[in-house]
Amino acid sequence: MIAENLIVDRGVSAGDDWITVAAESAHEALSSLKDEGYRLLVFLTCVDHLADSSREWPRRYELVYQLRNMDTLEQLRVRAFVDGDPPHVESVSDVFPPANWDERETYDMFGIVFENHPDLTRILMPDDWVGHPLRRDYPVGGEVVEFSEEHETWQTAPDKA
Amino acid sequence: MTDTDTTVIGQGVTVTKTGETGAFGGELLTVNFGPHHPSTHGVLRLIVDLDGEQVKRIKPVIGYLHTGIEKQAEALRWQQAVVVTDRHDYLSPPINNLAYALAVERLMGVDVPPRAKVLRVIMSELTRLSSHLVWMGTSGIELGAMTMLMYCFRERDTILDMNEEISGYRMHTSYIRPGGVMADATPRFLDMLDKFIGAMPGHVDEYEDLLTMNPIWRSRTMGIGRLPAEDAKVLGATGPMLRGSGVAWDLRKQMPYSGYEGYEFEVATSDLCDCYGRYLVRIKEMRESVKILRQALDRLPDGPVNVDDRKMLPPPREELETSMEAVIHHFKLFTEGYSVPPGDVYQAVESGRGENGCYVVSDGTHKPRRVKFRAASFVNLQPLERMAMNHMVADMVAIIGTADTVLGDVDR
Repeated sequence: MIAENLIVDRGVSAGDDWITVAAESAHEALSSLKDEGYRLLVFLTCVDHLADSSREWPRRYELVYQLRNMDTLEQLRVRAFVDGDPPHVESVSDVFPPANWDERETYDMFGIVFENHPDLTRILMPDDWVGHPLRRDYPVGGEVVEFSEEHETWQTAPDKA
Repeated sequence: MTDTDTTVIGQGVTVTKTGETGAFGGELLTVNFGPHHPSTHGVLRLIVDLDGEQVKRIKPVIGYLHTGIEKQAEALRWQQAVVVTDRHDYLSPPINNLAYALAVERLMGVDVPPRAKVLRVIMSELTRLSSHLVWMGTSGIELGAMTMLMYCFRERDTILDMNEEISGYRMHTSYIRPGGVMADATPRFLDMLDKFIGAMPGHVDEYEDLLTMNPIWRSRTMGIGRLPAEDAKVLGATGPMLRGSGVAWDLRKQMPYSGYEGYEFEVATSDLCDCYGRYLVRIKEMRESVKILRQALDRLPDGPVNVDDRKMLPPPREELETSMEAVIHHFKLFTEGYSVPPGDVYQAVESGRGENGCYVVSDGTHKPRRVKFRAASFVNLQPLERMAMNHMVADMVAIIGTADTVLGDVDR
């Protein structure tokens, strides 16, 4: 098992095991979990807990790494909480190759900066897009339809987005 | 490296010429492929470095079909978000519905009745068949077997007719919902299904007659796009991509859901690790799907198809005329919706392309806090460069084809 001092919290949510680690040691924890047999990173994503009153959240952004051991069929969810503008966390794409695009997507959608990522650019939104659409303070319908009459005025004032 | 070595191709994509000399003495050439190329299965753009006609580097550029499905799901109520799950992997809507519905049901601690479980399996397997049929038809066209599309779409149309009969909608069925299914199967649907199960093995034989020993098909796919088992695992490939590399991994067997543990079927694998192997896997899977459909139809139990919970699903129409309570429940459900206890859950299901999962986070309100779709196509596209390296451009088309990516799933 990974070093106990890395684990901040642990529990079970609807049958799924999870642990929380400090964001600073996420890379270390995930590498040692890979050595233990959790060799597949199923997905990596982020949850924005802005104005979420369901419980106390240590920080605004929660990074979620879903791991799987394909031999024993065990699954483990690793959480790490980050904050800041922009929030920083170390990339795990050197440990799990599929994390490369997942991290680019998380950067694109939430603005989380993954340090040491080989190519941290937007992946789904256009490169000149302003803002990070899956943040909770980014409104649905906040973007102007391209090539519409409003689009030109909006383009000159991108901070409105 | 100076600035003049870098070419801006547009969309902010820059490609740096390394000044390398190819094996034939020529300079490496950067070519833009797509996004509106007929063989890219949607709108996929590849920036390819070529040495002569050999592929040396591929940079996929995705996002042309991004529709903000995850953002939309956050703005919809729990029961409404089903409709967006239909639309990301548009070739297998009921399977995506199932992932979302199972995730929400696990958070709420709800178990659906046995008849609903069997109907869910039937719809999943029909969808897997129709998804493989589209794959085979379009891949056939790309590699010069024009007839395949006609044959495959003939059977796919029968499946779409069945979708229409059971849900009223041919493609985006929204049939599987949290708490059960939209409506019970009609006798006509069961009749159509029975006929279809009887005819389908013969049709699969027809496809095999056309392709399996076809010398053109074999020379275009055998030895092309090799992905050894170890690489496939490391790169996170799932579905026929992984099974075509000889790894017997199928979520229906390994981590069963919706009663799949009660069906007898084999996991199709192939040790060839190439495009032809992935083709064999899909052919075998179609036969296994028909077997599952037969078992499901034979054991379809009687009973309700929805949970008996008025806080989650609307009351029957006839109750509304006699019961005040039913009217209140109905009103509450269609104005506020139901709330899901706080927590998060990840549910993976096996779609035609691999592991399509749904990660749902609830903050205890009537709308999801976050819905994340784990898209098989998104992950399966990443080994493309690894597979297409040193192959011809035309082989790259075969490799994209057998990876079977749905761009709506990649971009969500």
